[in-house]
Amino acid sequence: MTTSTTTSTTSSAGELAISTRGLRKTYRNRKGRHVAVAGLDLDVPLGGVHGFLGPNGSGKTTTIRMLLGLIRADAGTMQIFGSEVPKHLPEVVGRVGAIVESPKFFPAFSGRKNLQLLAEAIDRPRDIVDQVLEQSGLGGRGKDRYKTYSLGMKQRLAIAATLLKEPDLLIFDEPTNGLDPAGIREIRNTMRSLGEQGKTVLVSSHILDEVEQVADTVSIIGHGRLLASGRVADVIGDQAATSLRVGVADPVGAQRILCDSGLLVRPEGGLLVVEGAIDGAQVTKLLAAHNLFVNELIPMRADLESVFLALTADEGLETVGAAR
Amino acid sequence: MMRLTRVELRRLFSRRLTTIAMLGALVVTGLMLFGTFQEAKPLSAPEQAAQQAQFDQAKKDWAVNGEQQVKDCLVAQSEQQKIDPKATFPCDQMAPNVANWGKPVAKFTEMMPNILLAGSYLLAFVAFLVGAGFVAAEFSSGSMANWLTFEPRRMRVYVSKLGAAGLGLIPVTVALLGLLTAGSWLIVSHLASTAGTTAKVWGDLALMGGRAVALAVAAAAAGAAMGVLLRHTAAVLGIAVGYLVLVEGVFGQALQGARPWLLQLNFNAWLQHGATYFSQTCKTDAQGNYSCQGVEKVLSFGHGSAYLGLLVVLTVGVAALVFRRRDVS
Repeated sequence: MTTSTTTSTTSSAGELAISTRGLRKTYRNRKGRHVAVAGLDLDVPLGGVHGFLGPNGSGKTTTIRMLLGLIRADAGTMQIFGSEVPKHLPEVVGRVGAIVESPKFFPAFSGRKNLQLLAEAIDRPRDIVDQVLEQSGLGGRGKDRYKTYSLGMKQRLAIAATLLKEPDLLIFDEPTNGLDPAGIREIRNTMRSLGEQGKTVLVSSHILDEVEQVADTVSIIGHGRLLASGRVADVIGDQAATSLRVGVADPVGAQRILCDSGLLVRPEGGLLVVEGAIDGAQVTKLLAAHNLFVNELIPMRADLESVFLALTADEGLETVGAAR
Repeated sequence: MMRLTRVELRRLFSRRLTTIAMLGALVVTGLMLFGTFQEAKPLSAPEQAAQQAQFDQAKKDWAVNGEQQVKDCLVAQSEQQKIDPKATFPCDQMAPNVANWGKPVAKFTEMMPNILLAGSYLLAFVAFLVGAGFVAAEFSSGSMANWLTFEPRRMRVYVSKLGAAGLGLIPVTVALLGLLTAGSWLIVSHLASTAGTTAKVWGDLALMGGRAVALAVAAAAAGAAMGVLLRHTAAVLGIAVGYLVLVEGVFGQALQGARPWLLQLNFNAWLQHGATYFSQTCKTDAQGNYSCQGVEKVLSFGHGSAYLGLLVVLTVGVAALVFRRRDVS
């Protein structure tokens, strides 16, 4: 649980949607220099949902802004679909839809008008605006002014805007911030659906539960550096041993039997916790041989919160937000 | 590029501030035409009768006191000539003259350049405001970042925004100046005199109108560039008003030598193809008398156009460099 070594995906650059090497960004403020991104190596594989996880201030949004050419990197290289950015960003930007932090449109214009201007700017046919409004569930509110929209509707409009390009890569930065539970579920379903359609979705979040629910792969960053990366299950597997919670009529006797078999067992409440990567069938078999029958057997996996805390234990980072 | 400019033009004319500014300019144009009407209309019969009565009374007074008034005038003149030997008083023009009573007939040729000048100032201000708000609102609302995720080539974005602000103001400026000129012509031709409005006069007015349109385009581009630099319409307006009050109003009056570098005088030089201004020169003579004289000076069209052009190019250039390099949040 305490290792903080970086694992990376094995994809080559050609199979990656996003790749950064040694990416660095420093801000100057009154207190001096603040390193927002400190040599980040990030690989986002093609297809599926990739979680970009880290606490507030860890450099997620700064990284996304650099990828989109909104801010300049101090050092390092970035690639989107194998093209160097920002140099070749104009060539690939048509394949990238992005929402950076909260959605931002012209408040006095209607949702439809905002989308029409964007569609016209990228030479998309006019009827696509109605299509994406329908797709994002805003068909009936397209004529209303953007400033009258709820936060959830604004987020849906932002998703509609990304769909104007029919992108291969979608970047969502903290997409569920401020949404109600129904809105959160809707956005998560949308992200999963896009990933299942073969698109690459990069979702930046400080909410562990969100990444765990929607992402296939994950990169965890802290203090602007990559801490771990890989499939969500692998990252958890690398960082945390599995344990079992066992319920039995005679916990004292059962603990003695299991300990005698070389297992690490401790009582917890009325149950026993068997530490380590244990096969549940082995425990059941050992106890049944002594006429003790298991009435509860719960495999326990470490969640991302535990993983993150373990990864950042030596980094002095703040704790990530509670999962919703 | 053309596509982006078209989109920006659509956005420009969809903005409420643009509509309000245009309507405001239209209202002020209407007020200016009303002012022209007031200036051009002849006196009413009762007003003329009152003026005639005043003139008759002045003639009677002159018959009684005129000789003494001329003597007093000549005495005062000789007293003044002890200080200034060249001093002359108009003692021979003191008799009441009917031409000095009543209202002179307004002439289109004399009125129109001043009306166009005032209209040009109005439109330049409107263009500056519209240009500044057009770009600054994008920064303050945060939609600039969104826009750049669709078109990341910043120079294209910049040129399209400034281009739209400038181009969009051309038809508006032409229409309002046309309305002002046509309205003034109609009013003056009905109520006063349009005599002497030759082809040359029309040509000069057309050139002045053309320069007013160019000034509005430049003001819109400069306003948009200021919007890029300051990112808030209120900040741009604050700087503009602060400049007008402090620099043009206070500093410009206090430092006579700086007047050729004030915007207003250069606007006049550009619009009127040269402008005159008075500069006071004060000195103490051998007898210890301190006196000041207003000296008429000319600010050339070349000076005005070069100076204003340089200011616009500098503002637009600096804003381009800043927009190209600055982080957008």
